[in-house]
Amino acid sequence: MNAITRGVKNTFRNSIRTVGIVAILTVAIALSISMLVARDAVNKKIESVRASTGNTISVSPAGFFGFSGGGTPLTTTQISDISSIRHVTSVTSTLTQRLTSSDTSLTAPTPSGSLGGQFSGGFGGSGGFPGGSSGTFTPPVRVVGTTTPGQALVGGANGGGTETLVSGSSFSGTSTADVAIVGKTLASTNSLKVGSTFTAWNTKITVIGIYNAQSTFANSDVLMPLATVQKLSGNANDVDSATVYVDSVDNVSAVQAKIKAQLGSAADVTNAQQQAEQQLAPLNSVKTISTYTLLGTVVGAGIILLLSMLMIVRERRREIGVLKALGAKSSSVMRQFIAEATTFTLLGSFFGFLIGIVLANPITSTLVTNASSSSSSGFSRDGGFPGGGFPGGSLPGGGSSGGFHFGARGFGHAITSVQTSIGFSTLLVALLIALLVAAVGSSVAVANIARVRPAEVLRSE
Amino acid sequence: MLTISNLKKSFSSGAGDVTAVKDVSFEARSGEMVAIIGPSGSGKSTLLSLLGLLDAPDSGSLSLDGKELASLSESERTHFRAKQVGFVFQQFNLIPNLTARENVMLSLEFANYPKAQRAARAEEMLTMVGLTGDKANRRPAKLSGGEQQRVAIARAFANQPPLILADEPTGSLDRATGQRIVALLRATATTQDATVLVVTHDESVAKQADRRLEIEDGVLREIA
Repeated sequence: MNAITRGVKNTFRNSIRTVGIVAILTVAIALSISMLVARDAVNKKIESVRASTGNTISVSPAGFFGFSGGGTPLTTTQISDISSIRHVTSVTSTLTQRLTSSDTSLTAPTPSGSLGGQFSGGFGGSGGFPGGSSGTFTPPVRVVGTTTPGQALVGGANGGGTETLVSGSSFSGTSTADVAIVGKTLASTNSLKVGSTFTAWNTKITVIGIYNAQSTFANSDVLMPLATVQKLSGNANDVDSATVYVDSVDNVSAVQAKIKAQLGSAADVTNAQQQAEQQLAPLNSVKTISTYTLLGTVVGAGIILLLSMLMIVRERRREIGVLKALGAKSSSVMRQFIAEATTFTLLGSFFGFLIGIVLANPITSTLVTNASSSSSSGFSRDGGFPGGGFPGGSLPGGGSSGGFHFGARGFGHAITSVQTSIGFSTLLVALLIALLVAAVGSSVAVANIARVRPAEVLRSE
Repeated sequence: MLTISNLKKSFSSGAGDVTAVKDVSFEARSGEMVAIIGPSGSGKSTLLSLLGLLDAPDSGSLSLDGKELASLSESERTHFRAKQVGFVFQQFNLIPNLTARENVMLSLEFANYPKAQRAARAEEMLTMVGLTGDKANRRPAKLSGGEQQRVAIARAFANQPPLILADEPTGSLDRATGQRIVALLRATATTQDATVLVVTHDESVAKQADRRLEIEDGVLREIA
């Protein structure tokens, strides 16, 4: 039986103490693992969001703020000028309009409902949507004119995902044809198929495709070529939202500054990265919490083990003296106690790891949900467009609901869905943590062993 | 042959330096059992610490079979204890969570005794001290005081050291058991040709030794 075996055997010398130490270490290590997994998951989410939004800049008319704002639309000339700025790789533009029952043959799929009814009084002004102050509100159909079919609803007005064609085909970004691709919910409500037609602004529009954008709201839209919407709605050259793609994340700030200089006070120019950072604030908060909790639990576990081992060494001082008197080297006795501390740690790690894996997902979800809800109170208002409801009054300047705030709404929903996973790197870090705890826990005790003089065993007789 | 010459050891205390061992000199032959007697605080344990290389002397010479030991380094003293010295303590000092056999094997491990032969050697030693059957597999708490001291003797003699140091080996035993333990010590010393130094304050134990030395206030003298 060598020193290591004796050390492992000593772990079980006092069953009550062993259970106590292992239980405390289990709780600490379970929390460490949960925090490690949470931190890892949140970090991946942050990286993923940053990677997906890092090189875009949003441009919208100044004061344009969904239903709460107004402003004057940008022009295609202004957008075209942006395209010529150095490092800009592409610019996509949209113009969002709403078709009331007098403008189209389509019926909105979503009923007004009580949420929509709350807004049936609408905003003040004239020329608003049907219903007005009477309270009998008919939801409009939203038409998005876009130069990028397939990406028009991503994180956009409806918080939708990428539009995926379920039948038919799409149109080109420069098309001027009277064609549309419609959401599958709208298509179902209006019995539209590829080749069907409907009227909008007294013009016959042909359905060339049907898409799915993963939300009922997004699937209730009509996507048409930007030029067609500009022409039919009488808003020639108007653009209410543009996304500028920059060749590198490093050039985003410089391009943003140039756009601001070019458009002046006519536009709000926001960096997608800045938007992302705002939305990622709750996740960053969770990351910070999990990091500090991880450090706290590791240090706590180390201190618990350290004190336990100090107590054990103190209790076995005579035994250490006997071993040394019999000819054991200090290093051999130290190995024995390190093995004992490591066994405690590995036992705690084993049970802690199992419990930590089970708890990781609920703890992560709770942290993310709490952090998100506590930081999004002012945000949910902007995420409006509730249910089928829609203001019965006018929208200033025919303003639409597109742009940043709806996009942010979609974003907000996305960041709360953080997926936890236990990868090899997590296992490796967990093992290193366990070894760190064992090293910290046994260090002072081992130093004490070196100080025990074998002669003490005789003096204490 | 153990040769001690002018051995001296002092300790610092609140009242100044205390000389626990003063110019101690004596010799002990192989196979000889020497008793060192003296009252509490006379310097017995300090002398035993020096002889067992648990402590280093301030001055003087200490040699075993011609090898000078007083100037050995800490690691050399550890090596020497493992190979050349066996200890028997008053409180037995067996490791409580090891069986009798494992306790005996402990000293064999420290002496680098061939691994494959340790269990057999431990069994042989336990049989020699009269512990047979399942007692070898019992932990110290399941053995009587006399049996524990037998295990301690088996442990001390297991790797056949030339020097055995026994510190009050009968101090925790009843008189009859104590007598048997001393007889066992003596017999084993003779069998293995080891020098045995027994520190005791029990006159009946001292009488069984070949020679008796008395220590008082750190000064050692031979008594008839």
